[in-house]
Amino acid sequence: MPLVLRYRGQTSIPVEVEGFLPEVVRGHTLAQIERIEIFHGNQKCALGDFFSVSGSADDACFEFEGDLSGVHWIGAKLAAGEIRIEGSAGRHVGSEMTGGTIHVAGDVSDWVGGEMHGGLIHVRGRAGHFVGAAYRGSKRGMTGGTILVHGPVGDETGHTMRRGLIAVGGAGDFTGLNMIAGTVPVFGPVGTRTGANMRRGTLGLFGEAPVRLLPTFRPGNCDKLLVLQLVFAELRRLGYPFDESLCERAYRMHHGDLVTGGRGEVLVPA
Amino acid sequence: MNDARTGVEIAGTQIEDTFAEAFRMRVARLVVTAHDDFWLDAAVREFAGYSSSIISCDSEAGLERPLAPRETPDGRKGVALLVFGFSADALAEVVPNRVGQCLMTCPTTAVYDGLSEGEQRIPLGKTIRYFGDGFQKSKLIAGRRYWRVPVMDGEFVVEHTAHVAKGVGGGNFIVQGTSAVAALAAARRAIEAINPLPSVITPFPGGVARSGSKVGSRYKKLKASTADEYCPTLRGRVQTKLAEGANAAYEIVIDGLDEAAVAHAMTEGIRAAAGKDVLAITAGNYGGKLGKFHFHLHEILS
Repeated sequence: MPLVLRYRGQTSIPVEVEGFLPEVVRGHTLAQIERIEIFHGNQKCALGDFFSVSGSADDACFEFEGDLSGVHWIGAKLAAGEIRIEGSAGRHVGSEMTGGTIHVAGDVSDWVGGEMHGGLIHVRGRAGHFVGAAYRGSKRGMTGGTILVHGPVGDETGHTMRRGLIAVGGAGDFTGLNMIAGTVPVFGPVGTRTGANMRRGTLGLFGEAPVRLLPTFRPGNCDKLLVLQLVFAELRRLGYPFDESLCERAYRMHHGDLVTGGRGEVLVPA
Repeated sequence: MNDARTGVEIAGTQIEDTFAEAFRMRVARLVVTAHDDFWLDAAVREFAGYSSSIISCDSEAGLERPLAPRETPDGRKGVALLVFGFSADALAEVVPNRVGQCLMTCPTTAVYDGLSEGEQRIPLGKTIRYFGDGFQKSKLIAGRRYWRVPVMDGEFVVEHTAHVAKGVGGGNFIVQGTSAVAALAAARRAIEAINPLPSVITPFPGGVARSGSKVGSRYKKLKASTADEYCPTLRGRVQTKLAEGANAAYEIVIDGLDEAAVAHAMTEGIRAAAGKDVLAITAGNYGGKLGKFHFHLHEILS
C-alpha cells in the first residue's frame, strides 16, 4: 500500500519537500509523517499543513495527488523506492537521484533530473528547461539513469550530461549543450544550436521538421545504425511511445562539435 | 565384448549398464546477430571452427540454438553460441580472440553476452574495441555497455564483457552399428534430436566424433590416443568393447550449461539413435576417477 499525499495547499509561494523520501519515512506513523518539516518559501512548516496523509509508508512508495505545480524538489536525491505523481509537479523533480523510479502523469517544471545519477523518471506530459542538466557552476550534469518525457521540453536539455538516456518529445534551444557523453533522442521539433560544444555522445533528432545544425558539424555516412536498435529496444521496454517506423529508417550521421574534437554525433533521418 | 551389458533395451538396441563421465567446466554464452541466415551461418562456422575437443583445441564451442528476432537485443535474427573451457581465465583469452578474428571479421554481425548472471566476467569489447584505433565509441544502455567499432560496413557492435558460469563438459554416448552406414544413420538421428534442445552443444563435426580417444598413449608426447577398444579393425588384436557383430561406432559428446541439460540431451539422443542395425549403445568413462559428473545410462533413461 502506498503512502498517499493529497496536496491541499492554496499558496503561490513555493512549497519545497526536499529530503522527504520513501527511505526516510519508512516505518513512520502517519502522525510522525505529518510533523516532518518542509519549507513554505523561507519558512519551515509541517508537511501536514499542506498535505493530507493516508496509507502506509512501509512499502517505499509515495503517491502524490493534486496540482503540485508549486511543489518543488519532489524525489530529489531519491535512492530507492517509487514515487507516483498523479498530476503536475514543480521544479527539480528527481534532482540528483541515484535510484528508484518517479512517474509523473502530468507536466513538470524546470530541472527535472538535474544532475541525476541513476534510476528512472518517466513524465507523461511536458517538461521545462534544463532536463538532466548541470546546475550552474557544476562540472557535470546527469551521470546516469533515464529520463523519459513524452511531450516537448525546454532549453538546455542534457547540458553537460556525462552518461544516461534522455528521451523527449521535442526540445528547445541548446539541446545537448556541452554534452560529455550519453544519449538524447528527440522525437519532435528541436530548437537552435543543437549539440553546441558537445564532446561525445549521441543526439537523435527524429522529428519531421528540417534540422539546421551549427556549421561546426560535418555530415558523415547515411545508413541504418545498429546501435539505435538497442536504444529503441530500451525505450520500447520502458513503455515510451515513438513511431516504430523509425526503426527501419536510415540516418545521416553528423560529426561534431568540431570545436571540441568532433567525437559526438547527431543523427537525422535521411 | 562388454560383459557389463544387462537387460535394458530400446527398439532392439541394447543399452549397456555403464556411465558417461563428464567434467566441471566454465562456459560463456554469446548471442550473435547478423543481417540474414547466410551471414549467421558463416559466423557460426567460423567461430566454432577448430573447437571440437579441449584436448587439443583452446575450447569447445558450438551452436546452442537459433534465436528469433524477439529474443535478441537488436531485434535481428541471431544464434546462441556456447564456449567451454577449463577456467574463466582460459575463456578470457579464447573468447575475445575468437570474437575478434571470427565474428568481427564476418559481415554485419554483432555480439552480445548471452548469460544474465555468472561467477565472473570476461572481456569482449573491452579489449576488441582497441581495433577501432581511437575511433571506437561506447554506449551504455540499461546498465550494459556496448562498443561500436568502426569497420568497413559500418559498425561492429560488441558488448563490453560476458558472464562466465559453471558448466558441464563431456557428457557422451557411443552408438554401435552392424555397419558404418547403420551407425552413422543412428548418430545422425541422435544429433537431430539433440540439436533443438536448449543449453547444450555437440562440439564435434556434425555433432559426431569418429575418433574417440583414451587418456595417454604409448608415445610420451601425446595426451590422448585412439580408443582402441572401440576400433572395429582392432578387434582380435585388443580387448574390444564393441558388441558382437558391431562393425562401426560413433561417439556423441555433449557439453551443457548444467547437469540436467546434459542428461536430458543424452536421453533424447539415445532414444533417437536406438533402432534397427544398432546393436548397442554405451558410454565413455575413465573408471569414475576423473570426472565429477557420472551419467548412468540406465538411470537417465528410466
